[in-house]
Amino acid sequence: MTARPERPFRRVLVANRGEIALRIIRACRELGVETVAVYSDADRAARHVRAADQAVRLGPAEAGASYLRAELLVDAALATGAQAIHPGYGFLSERPTFAEACTAAGLVFIGPEAVTLAGLGDKLAARRAASKVGVPVVPGTLEPAAVGDPMALAELVRTAERIGWPVLVKAAAGGGGRGMRRVERAADLATAIGSASHEAAAAFGDGTVYLERVVQDARHVEVQLLGDAQGTIVACGERDCSVQRRHQKLVEEAPAPGMSPDARRALHAHAVAVAQAVGLRNAATAEFLLQPDGAVWFLEVNARLQVEHGVTELVTGLDLVAEQLWIAAGRPLSPAVLAAAARAAEPDRHAVEVRLSAEDPGAAFAPRPGTITAWREPGGPGVRVDGWVEPGTVVTSDYDPLLAKILTVAADRPAALARMARALDEVEVGGLQTTLPFDRWLLAEPAFRSAQLSIDLVDRLWQPQLLREAAARAAARLAAAASAMPEAAAASAMPVTAASAHPSGAASPASRQDGGSLWDTGAWRLAGRRAATREWPA
Amino acid sequence: MSRALRLTVEAPEPLVVEIEPDDLGREDGHRPRGTVRALPLEPEDRARGALRREVVVDGWRFEVVVEDAARAALRERAGRLGGGPGRHQAQVVTAQIPGRVLRVEVAQGDPVEPGQRLLSIEAMKMENELRATVVGTVARVAVAPGETVERGQELVVIA
Repeated sequence: MTARPERPFRRVLVANRGEIALRIIRACRELGVETVAVYSDADRAARHVRAADQAVRLGPAEAGASYLRAELLVDAALATGAQAIHPGYGFLSERPTFAEACTAAGLVFIGPEAVTLAGLGDKLAARRAASKVGVPVVPGTLEPAAVGDPMALAELVRTAERIGWPVLVKAAAGGGGRGMRRVERAADLATAIGSASHEAAAAFGDGTVYLERVVQDARHVEVQLLGDAQGTIVACGERDCSVQRRHQKLVEEAPAPGMSPDARRALHAHAVAVAQAVGLRNAATAEFLLQPDGAVWFLEVNARLQVEHGVTELVTGLDLVAEQLWIAAGRPLSPAVLAAAARAAEPDRHAVEVRLSAEDPGAAFAPRPGTITAWREPGGPGVRVDGWVEPGTVVTSDYDPLLAKILTVAADRPAALARMARALDEVEVGGLQTTLPFDRWLLAEPAFRSAQLSIDLVDRLWQPQLLREAAARAAARLAAAASAMPEAAAASAMPVTAASAHPSGAASPASRQDGGSLWDTGAWRLAGRRAATREWPA
Repeated sequence: MSRALRLTVEAPEPLVVEIEPDDLGREDGHRPRGTVRALPLEPEDRARGALRREVVVDGWRFEVVVEDAARAALRERAGRLGGGPGRHQAQVVTAQIPGRVLRVEVAQGDPVEPGQRLLSIEAMKMENELRATVVGTVARVAVAPGETVERGQELVVIA
């Protein structure tokens, strides 16, 4: 019997930033693996840089000059003596060329093999592979759409007419809605292909696009896959990620509500079949559309760790990042993974995740970069927060607007949602607009609470105007109340509710900052104190 | 006796209300959950003798300018007597987020219609198309493809 290695690697370079870099560093630390962080100039002081054992500067803020430069990452790994690179998600995580560059340099790429990335990461190749093993794929094209070729365009329009409008133009190398366009009619197809291709080329370095039919009333359900070097591939349960806008996930949960164990087993079998067809190793996720009648259509495979992997961890008890490291080090799937896979069709817990992002949910979720001035995370039983920001963090427009993932777990869905509502009440963010108002609304929304899920739920039901207007009126009252008692208002970041606020007698840094101009008359101060006393009796 | 406050909630559609602090205690009903923080003053706030607050209610973030209502009314009367700039129907398209200009689809002198694409900006890896909201003529194009723009920067003016 051979002795088990104590840890999968001695030192790992984490080729990412933000919450996922921190997440990976945490797993490494628990396994006794030393970590090397990388950073752009925008992230010089970021938490992942401080959390790692050492850190290497890549370049300027722009991702193309830093996190997307494969050769810099490989050099950094070699220079620091790292044995392996964890790519996280996004950036270079699904680039076969990056995986190849790692291998060529004698480094372990923690993810599927380059050839598998090419097969799975290229969504067109994945569609062909799934189709070949009898897994139903969403109707559409199986070959790249030619960009800017009038002859080819005419052919594409004919194809779209055949599969039926509306169609989606999707990036073969895409993900998270980037390089994706919904097209309602033939006249808009050329523009959509051009613009999707441009966005895909900018975001992924590959402008290949294809067409796919829009499946109406569908849910987005995906299966977590793990595979080892010995060829064993298992499904560790599924997630429902139907709450999306512009094809970007906002809220995810595990398991997918309302599926029978048999339906789950069938879905998991489809996912494993696709993974086997392309020889998956390490972690990946197979995405499907689930129709109300139970029909499932294969969409694509994300050949990497997903943003929302945490809900699966909370339901299964696994640490997927740790499992990735062990698999990359050559170990067969752990007994814990095999046990989780065996139970995957009959989960006994429910987990939900909210992506808290620097976006304005009242303005079509437009990004709202800024500086975090206040940050309070929720806590208590069954709550997990994977974040990266803190007071003083500058959220730039160079990267994803994701600030933190808030996750809750409980015995069943209603309890997990109640726990999430409670957790969101504890969140406090100052300095920029976040998606929090949307998340709070969603948890009270009857269609969501009763698990009437579909990927158009947000588009159909989210109407922020009245909510924002009511909040604006309340904001005026709160500002008036706080301003009527300068001393209290000065206690910067003091929570004020009509029920709980107390005037503080503390000296007033903010009124000094304000110049005290409004409070120059003695009468005004007096009035303010009287109002405060009446509203907040001692 | 308390003096009324004028509160300007800076939102896409600004809300201006006047509140007597003495009246606040009398209103019952919805008790909003919120936080109030002092913000640094803008030059305009200083000129008005106003305070600036960040108020977050149910996750919605607002900047609220708090000033003495009587003083605000005086200032407005003075402004009207002085004859402020006349109203014009121009649309000044500004960058809502910092980013990089990908394409400019109009040139000075072009006639435009509501909904027409003017330019696209890439920010946070997303391509954002900016469209005209008025009928008019492009009076000025202030940016070129490849240029980096800051939030609030003027991009295109339609007259």
